[in-house]
Amino acid sequence: MSSETTSQRTDKDQYRRGFFERLRQSSFLSELLSNRLALLGLGIILLIVVVAVQARLFLDLEAIKATQLGTNPSMAGPCGERSVIAAIQSAGSCAHPMGTDLQGRDIFDRVRYGAWLALKYGTVTVAASTALGVGLGTIAAYYGGWIDNLIMRTMDVLLAFPSLLLALALVAIFGAGLWKAVIALTLVYTPRFARVVRGAALKVLEDEYIEATVSLGARDRRVILRHVLPNAIAPITVQSTLNYGLAIIDIAALSFLGFGASAGTPSWGLMLSNGVDQGLLSGHWWWSFFPGLLLALTVLGFNLLGDGMRDALDPRMREAVD
Amino acid sequence: MISKRFLLKRLLLLVPVVLGVATFVFAILHLSPGNPARTIAGQRASEEFVRQIESDLGLNDPIYVQYGRFLWNAIQLDFGNSYVIRRGTPVTEVLRDRFPVTLELAIYGQLAGIVFGIPLGILSAVKQDSVTDHLTRIGALTGISVPIFWSGPLLILVFATMLDVLPTTGRISSDYSVDAVTGLITVDALLSGNVDAFLSAVQHMLLPSLVIGVYSMALISRMMRSSMLEVIRQDYMRTARAKGQGAKITVMKHGFRNALIPVVTIIGIQFGSLLGGAVLTETVFNITGIGVLLVEAISVGDYPVVQGTVLLFAFLFTLVNLGVDVTYSILDPRIEQ
Repeated sequence: MSSETTSQRTDKDQYRRGFFERLRQSSFLSELLSNRLALLGLGIILLIVVVAVQARLFLDLEAIKATQLGTNPSMAGPCGERSVIAAIQSAGSCAHPMGTDLQGRDIFDRVRYGAWLALKYGTVTVAASTALGVGLGTIAAYYGGWIDNLIMRTMDVLLAFPSLLLALALVAIFGAGLWKAVIALTLVYTPRFARVVRGAALKVLEDEYIEATVSLGARDRRVILRHVLPNAIAPITVQSTLNYGLAIIDIAALSFLGFGASAGTPSWGLMLSNGVDQGLLSGHWWWSFFPGLLLALTVLGFNLLGDGMRDALDPRMREAVD
Repeated sequence: MISKRFLLKRLLLLVPVVLGVATFVFAILHLSPGNPARTIAGQRASEEFVRQIESDLGLNDPIYVQYGRFLWNAIQLDFGNSYVIRRGTPVTEVLRDRFPVTLELAIYGQLAGIVFGIPLGILSAVKQDSVTDHLTRIGALTGISVPIFWSGPLLILVFATMLDVLPTTGRISSDYSVDAVTGLITVDALLSGNVDAFLSAVQHMLLPSLVIGVYSMALISRMMRSSMLEVIRQDYMRTARAKGQGAKITVMKHGFRNALIPVVTIIGIQFGSLLGGAVLTETVFNITGIGVLLVEAISVGDYPVVQGTVLLFAFLFTLVNLGVDVTYSILDPRIEQ
C-alpha cells in the first residue's frame, strides 16, 4: 500500500482495507487451507453447528426434558419394539438410532440438543474470556508500570491453580448451574488471553512506527485500536479456537461432577454422568457412549482447526516443518 | 549451575502469588452462600447452638481479624477442622490420608505419558511426514480431545465388563488388607510382602493411570516432535553426521539431549493439569483421593476441607512450576538472562 492512495481514503475504509489486505497477503490463510487436518476440523465444526442449529429450531426442549416412561406408552417404532421397556433394551433401532435412556427419552434427540447447549455455553465462555483477556492484556501492555503489575500479578494468582480446580473452587462460591459454570470458566481462561495479548502488544509497541504515530499526536485509543489490536488478532484467534474445545470439555466436566446442568437438561456432561452411574455396569452402554462420542468429536474438531492455525501462525514451526 | 540470584528472584516473585492465593482461598469461605455454623450444627439445631458455634469459630470477629488468623494458622499448616465429611478431624489429617492416593495416580499417569510420549515424539520427528508421523499426530490430537469421563467409562466397559480381565473400580481387591505405611497402595502392597496383593493393586492402577496419562502422552509426544525437528536442523547435527557418526547415534546423543529441554517444561506443566484430571479420573474409577474429596466437600458445604484441598493443589502446582523453571535454567543457562 503506497502512502498516496491511503491518505485519500477515509479512516474506516483504510482500516478495513488494511486488515483484509494483510490477511490476504499473509501466508496464514493459504497455509491453513493447505492443511488437510485443519480442514477436517473445520468440517467437523460445521457439521456440529448444523446439527445444533437444526436441533434448536426443530426440537422442543420441554419435550426432550420430560420423562417419556408411562406418559407415552405408544412409542412402538417402525422396527416393532412394542413397549418402552423394549425400546430401552434395544441400543439402536430405526425409531431410536441411539436408543432411549432410563426415562424412555430418545437419546438421538437429546444428544443433538446437547450440541446446541455445548456450542451456546462454549461460545459465551470463549467470547467473554477473550474480551476480558484482550482488554486486560492491552491495558497492561500499553500503560505498563503499576497497572501492568497489578493486572498481571492478579493473573498469576489465577494461573497458580490447575484450571479445573480453580473452576471448582469458584463453583464452591457461586453454586451450581450452567451459567455459573460459564462465569467460573471465563475467569479461569481470562489470564491465558491476557498473557497472549500482552505479549503480542508489547512486541508491537516496541516498533518505531508506534513512536512515530504517538509523536504525530495519535491518542491512546487510536494506537490501541489501529495498531496494537490488529497485530494481535492472529494469536488471539488461535488461542480462542484452542480454548473453544477446552471450554466445551470443562463445561461438560462440571456438569459431570454435578455442578453444571440441572437434572433433565440434555447437556452432554450430565447425560454422561447419568449414563455412567446408572447404565455402565448394567450393560446400557449407549446411555453414556453417544453423548461422549459427540463431545469428543466436537472438541477434536476445534483442536484440529486450532492446531492447524497455530502451525500456520508460528514462523519457527513453519521453518521446522517444510 | 544455577545461580543463587536467579533462585532468589524466582522465590521473591512467588510471594505476591502465594499471598494472592491465600486471600482467594480465605474468600471462598466468606463469599460462599450459607452459614458455616448452620452447616456444622445441622438444619434442625437451635438458633442458640448455631450462635455458640459461630462464636467458637470466630465468625463474628471483624473480617481483618479473621483474615489475619487464617494466614497465621495457614503458615502453621492449620486449616481448621472438617465440618461434615470427617466432622471434627483436622483438615490437615484428612488431607494427609487422602493425598498419597492422588499423588500415586498422578505419578503413574505421568510415567505412562513419558514412557509412551517421548519415543512416539522422536519417531514422529525422525520419520517426518510419513504415515507413522501422521498417525502419531492425529492420535495425539485425539488424545487431547477425548474427555477422561468418556474414555474412562469406555475402558471399564471393554476391559472390566465385556472382557472381564481388569477390575472396574477401587484401588485394590477387597480380598487383601494392606497396612497404610506410605499411603501409596502399590508400595504398601509391596512392603507387605504379599505378591498377589501387589499384583491386584497394579491391576487396579492400570486403567486409571492410562486414562489420566493419555493427555500428557499427547502433549509430550507433540512437544518432543517439534523440538526434535528444530534440533535436527541445527548445524552441530550436520557436523556430527559429517564427521562420520551414524544417524541413530547422532539423533540420540546430540539431538535428544538438546531437544529434551522444552519437553521437560511441558512435563512439569502437565503435572499440574494432571492434578486437575485426577478429580475426574478419581470420580470415574471411584478412587478416594483429594480430587473426590474436593467434589464431596463442595457438595456438602465442608468449607475448611475445600479451602485445604484447593490450597494444597495450588501449592503443588506452584512448586512444580518453580521446579520446572529451575530445571530449565540448569539445562539451558541462557534462560537466566
